[in-house]
Amino acid sequence: MPAMRLEGLTKHYERASQVVRALDGVTLEIEQGEFVAVVGRSGSGKTTMLDCAGLLMSPTAGRVLLDGVDTGQLSGRERAELRSRRIGFIFQEFNLLPTLSAIENVLLPLRYSGADRRAGRRRAEQLLDEMGLSGRASHRPSELSGGQQQRVAIARSLIGEPTLVLGDEPMGEVDTETAEMLLTLMRRIHRESRVTFLIVTHDLDLAAKADRIIHLRDGHLVGDERMECFGSPVAATAAGSR
Amino acid sequence: MEIARNLWRRKLRTTLTVTGIVMGIFALTTMGAMAEHFNVLLNGGITYVGSTVQVGDAQGASIGNGYMALSTLAQLEKVKGVAAVSPMVSLLADPGSGAVVSVTLPDYVGNIDPNWNRYDPLKLSLSTGRWVTNSSRGEVDLGSSIAAQFHMQMGDTIALPVRPSGAQPGFVNQRFTVVGILNPTLTAPDSAAFVSLDDAQTLQGDELPTVLQGHVDPYQLITGAVVYGKPGVNLDSLADRINAEVSTVKATKPSTLISDIKSGEAVFTVITTATALLALVIGGLSVVNTMIMSVSERIREIGLKKAIGARTRHILGEFVAEAGLMGLIGGVIGYALGFAMTALLNASDSSGGLFLVTPRLTALAIGFAVALGAVAGLLPAIRAARMDPVRALRAQ
Ligand SMILES: Nc1ncnc2c1ncn2[C@@H]1O[C@H](COP(=O)(O)OP(=O)(O)OP(=O)(O)O)[C@@H](O)[C@H]1O
Ligand SMILES: [Mg+2]
Repeated sequence: MPAMRLEGLTKHYERASQVVRALDGVTLEIEQGEFVAVVGRSGSGKTTMLDCAGLLMSPTAGRVLLDGVDTGQLSGRERAELRSRRIGFIFQEFNLLPTLSAIENVLLPLRYSGADRRAGRRRAEQLLDEMGLSGRASHRPSELSGGQQQRVAIARSLIGEPTLVLGDEPMGEVDTETAEMLLTLMRRIHRESRVTFLIVTHDLDLAAKADRIIHLRDGHLVGDERMECFGSPVAATAAGSR
Repeated sequence: MEIARNLWRRKLRTTLTVTGIVMGIFALTTMGAMAEHFNVLLNGGITYVGSTVQVGDAQGASIGNGYMALSTLAQLEKVKGVAAVSPMVSLLADPGSGAVVSVTLPDYVGNIDPNWNRYDPLKLSLSTGRWVTNSSRGEVDLGSSIAAQFHMQMGDTIALPVRPSGAQPGFVNQRFTVVGILNPTLTAPDSAAFVSLDDAQTLQGDELPTVLQGHVDPYQLITGAVVYGKPGVNLDSLADRINAEVSTVKATKPSTLISDIKSGEAVFTVITTATALLALVIGGLSVVNTMIMSVSERIREIGLKKAIGARTRHILGEFVAEAGLMGLIGGVIGYALGFAMTALLNASDSSGGLFLVTPRLTALAIGFAVALGAVAGLLPAIRAARMDPVRALRAQ
């Protein structure tokens, strides 16, 4: 059973009597433990796809199945619960709360899931350690560099022990070197934990380091390639148009 | 705590908002303290009049002019249900104090009533000295506030009634030695100067209208009488019986007096309520305004929290707690300032002061402030909590 299955996923935005087809019938499967990059031009529907997959919004048509469960059948409450239990999020910007220290930011999801705070704190320290931030636990976001902030955000996405991490351009705001470092970090976590990663990026060089690249254009899936090892495509299956 | 830090981060705005609440609660505390003072005063009055039947001269009967004959007491004692009758002579102790509308009870000279401590639920006690007796002459026991007002100590001499500044040519008063000072009761006796019946009648005789002077024996005159009922006797019906059987007097039903006092109490309740409303408007609006700003500044934060698992009630709780915390801070400061203010005013007021801060008022002031903050924060908080995470995250 795939970890995630998108079935004819469609999202239309209505804006002033004009309909924007942000996503138009995207179908794909992602297996547990895959590291997938989503690429596409600006406006191609990457964020929309991720938001639907992360249960942050409901599609206009089509289905999102997580571990075989049709999430469209769940109540808002059940979806929220599934989200906080199974999915970790990393966003492009405004990721951390400015009033909280690094470790408090990492612990934030546990405040809402009612998990054991003490065990959580140990895990948060350990995660910050893995991110190379052991000395920065009590720093505020304003006292951290962009790359460090994003590493705190990665730690936060992992605190609830999710099976799926969704990143919407997590490397979008930092320089190339830092972006590479962040990706390497995520790959290492992926290798150690086998969490499924779905990462949106503009940067094709970064995307090339994923196991699989999904390509969107105008709301359609136009490319889906798996790499045997870094940088060499194994199979290119064109689903959707062209 | 994140909530406190959010407030701290916007120091100026938080300070302004809290100041709004402080002003409201300050007003509530001071006005409330005044109302509490009068409520205690009036409740003392209710206890007193509710346990006695006040008897006065029936208009136009016998001697008239508001005086009663001492001999009436014997008639009153015979009425069924009467346990005891005390003569009552009272006159203004400080006729020159001049206040036309006074917010406190006027100082008065009264005769010591030997039945008081036996029958009245409100007991009187001395903080120092001894009681004036029936045979005392030129001796006085002073209530706590009148003693403070005229700076009287044991053994001091006081002339009663106090000579007004523009005294009539015929004005006379007598000198009394202070032999006792009473403990505060927070009600009428605090402003009383108790002398023996004879002395009270002498003073009353000096004040008799000229038409009566020389025609009546002042020692046969009293201002009124206090009738104590036997246990279990309905005092309203006792008053009716007195009116039916003793034609020269007019007995007032305790229930009538009580409802008079209660209507006075209602005035102070209105004062407190009005101030509370004022606090509500000043403090409430500033909290609403601040929380609306707070919410719109933190839309993306709300989106983020919702995305990582916060539920509507979590967000709601956080914003309401933030508003409630502002209310609490404002409430504590406003109450402290109000308390200090009333203490200061009371200390500078020789008669003991107009303000009384009760535990009930403390709880009301602070509880009201917290509730005010929380309720005012509720609307913006609901708006925040209902926000769609995606839209919130994308907001600029
Ligand atoms: N709330 C909205 N209302 C109307 N149209 C929207 C809304 N959100 C997105 N769109 C439109 O939907 C399309 C897809 O947007 P989306 O944000 O998914 O693209 P994206 O691939 O993430 O782009 P970028 O790389 O710039 O982030 C765009 O044409 C966008 O203008
Ligand atoms: Mg996007």
